[in-house]
Amino acid sequence: MGSPLLELSGVGKDYARVDANAGRIRLVCDLLCGRGAAHVFRALDDVSLELAAGESLAVIGENGAGKSTLLKIVAGVIAPTRGRVSVRGRVGALLELGSGFHPEYSGLDNIDLAAALLGLTAAETASKRDEIITFADIGEHIREPIKHYSSGMVVRLGFAVATAIRPDILITDEVLAVGDESFQKKCIAWIKGYLADGGTLLLCSHSMYHVRKLCRSALWLRDGRVVRYGPAADVSQAYLAYHEEKSAGARQPIALPQAAASGVYAIQSLCVDPPSTIPCGAALTVWGEVFSPDDRVPVVLLGLVRADGTPVYGVATDMDGVPPARVTERHYAFSLTFPRLPLLPGKYFVRAHALDPEGVRLFDHVERSFVVEGETRELGVTRIEHNWGTRRRDEPGSIG
Amino acid sequence: MLSAPSPGQPARGMTGFALRHARQRALFANFFRRELFSRYLGTFTGLAWALVHPLALLAVYAFVFATVFRAGTMNGTSFVVFVAVALWPWLAAQEALQRGTVAIGAYAGLIRKVAFPHEIVIYASVAATLVLQLAGYIAVLVALTLLGEGVRLEGLVLAIPVWIVLAIAVTGLALALSALQVFIRDVEHVLMPALMILMYLTPILYPLSMVPEGMKPWVAANPFGYLVDRLRDALLDGRLALGWGDAVALIAALAIFVAGRWLFLRLSPFFEDFV
Repeated sequence: MGSPLLELSGVGKDYARVDANAGRIRLVCDLLCGRGAAHVFRALDDVSLELAAGESLAVIGENGAGKSTLLKIVAGVIAPTRGRVSVRGRVGALLELGSGFHPEYSGLDNIDLAAALLGLTAAETASKRDEIITFADIGEHIREPIKHYSSGMVVRLGFAVATAIRPDILITDEVLAVGDESFQKKCIAWIKGYLADGGTLLLCSHSMYHVRKLCRSALWLRDGRVVRYGPAADVSQAYLAYHEEKSAGARQPIALPQAAASGVYAIQSLCVDPPSTIPCGAALTVWGEVFSPDDRVPVVLLGLVRADGTPVYGVATDMDGVPPARVTERHYAFSLTFPRLPLLPGKYFVRAHALDPEGVRLFDHVERSFVVEGETRELGVTRIEHNWGTRRRDEPGSIG
Repeated sequence: MLSAPSPGQPARGMTGFALRHARQRALFANFFRRELFSRYLGTFTGLAWALVHPLALLAVYAFVFATVFRAGTMNGTSFVVFVAVALWPWLAAQEALQRGTVAIGAYAGLIRKVAFPHEIVIYASVAATLVLQLAGYIAVLVALTLLGEGVRLEGLVLAIPVWIVLAIAVTGLALALSALQVFIRDVEHVLMPALMILMYLTPILYPLSMVPEGMKPWVAANPFGYLVDRLRDALLDGRLALGWGDAVALIAALAIFVAGRWLFLRLSPFFEDFV
């Protein structure tokens, strides 16, 4: 109790960037003089976190966000360029596939090597060996060099070794994704038991399911910096929303010549007014133009979507009987105003779909984002009219 | 895979010190055993190579110099004995340097994933090579004695300390070269021809006395030549007295080790990114 098992404050890591051989010679000179590399890539910057005994933390982020660098620093494989790291206790680390195994060694030799790395005595090693072999369950392959193993077998052995000594802090880096279903279940079961017994876990995963299931808190890294650090449910939710938004942003409206050639109805332009941010409860106008290949009046469907992809409201021109107005040949304009937009503060999208005149076939869609600002403690997506009362249930006039 | 007390948590006090050293010893023993058994004794060709290579070289030199050039004796001893005494330690040093230089690359998988003192890899690699070669050296000397060649086995009392001085210097050089090799891949390729040239510039196949006067100081300046002379003093002439030169040799070897280790420790925190 008391001080945390793991504490990072302002940790950063720079990697030297060199390409040509001359650059390498200069790098060696720089390093020998203790100057540090001239050109660096900032893999990690200003990361602070605390992990107390019995806690579990997930590190999430895209590829290249600095997750592995962070775990390596915690495992002591690399020293941070800046900041302070303190680890109190024995760390068991499973970093990437085949981590810490010598490919030329047999499985058995690698078990002994791992024991030597920990400084276990011969008797301790002997007692753990059988336990590891049983857990890994890879049969006679244990006598073969690791380089002949399948990736699944390497992970099995790795997990068996890392867990056999029951570390104070267990670090796993995206390894659960490799083993087969039954081994994954075995690992998850082991980790749950380990956590229940007060073990501490630092997990790196792309599976938000595992993150939520195994970890209490989460740290989201992007380009080496902490985006968000807090309860696992919140952070993973925000992370998913970010991805939703990112993949939505990648969808471009269909270019007009292409739309004309393929004869589809297409949204040509879409604007929101005010352009980026509006106060909670203020007016919002959406307008744009739609292309009609056969010059018939198309249907436009406008929707409001929260940044994480949750639909809030949608309405089409044919529902209210207000068709888009013809501007020029094959071009129609539309606009829609929400006089008092009741959305709660947050990030949203306006999504416009072009439909055929029958309102049946849905063609492309275009999005514009906007932010609703405001100070409120209300929960949810939208403000709903309400009145608090003081009447009791059995009084006349109450509902039900 | 597993890392015991990591850098953030230096084990404290005497128990911490003892623990750290127990771990490093266990690690060294593991690597050393591994180097010895897998590289030499595990495979038939490995073992053959370790023993046959120096013997074959010795036979070739004997053929070229003793038979073709008719250099029957050197300073009163047979050519084969004269060369054998010096050639073996040279080959041992050469192999230790070559293996040591690429050792970090050979352990890349561990270095990228596990926290441990990287220098242990070099110590294990150099020690495995030198221990095996020293055993071969003694075996050959004993064999030559049994064949009636004039080897004075009591000279081993001095010869083995000379090997230890050599080992200290070679370890220092291997530390420096292996660290540079991580960043500059040419080191390995330059080393081979450099060692070859150095071998002919060292009085191994010829005595220093045969070198023309003008070049003598240059050849004599070769520190390895000094060690070769000491081996011949002890094993061929039976002169075992220690001189100031021996103290200088020891200090020089220690200086090379300290410098090599300094360079290694300066660069080793950056290995992970480059191996």
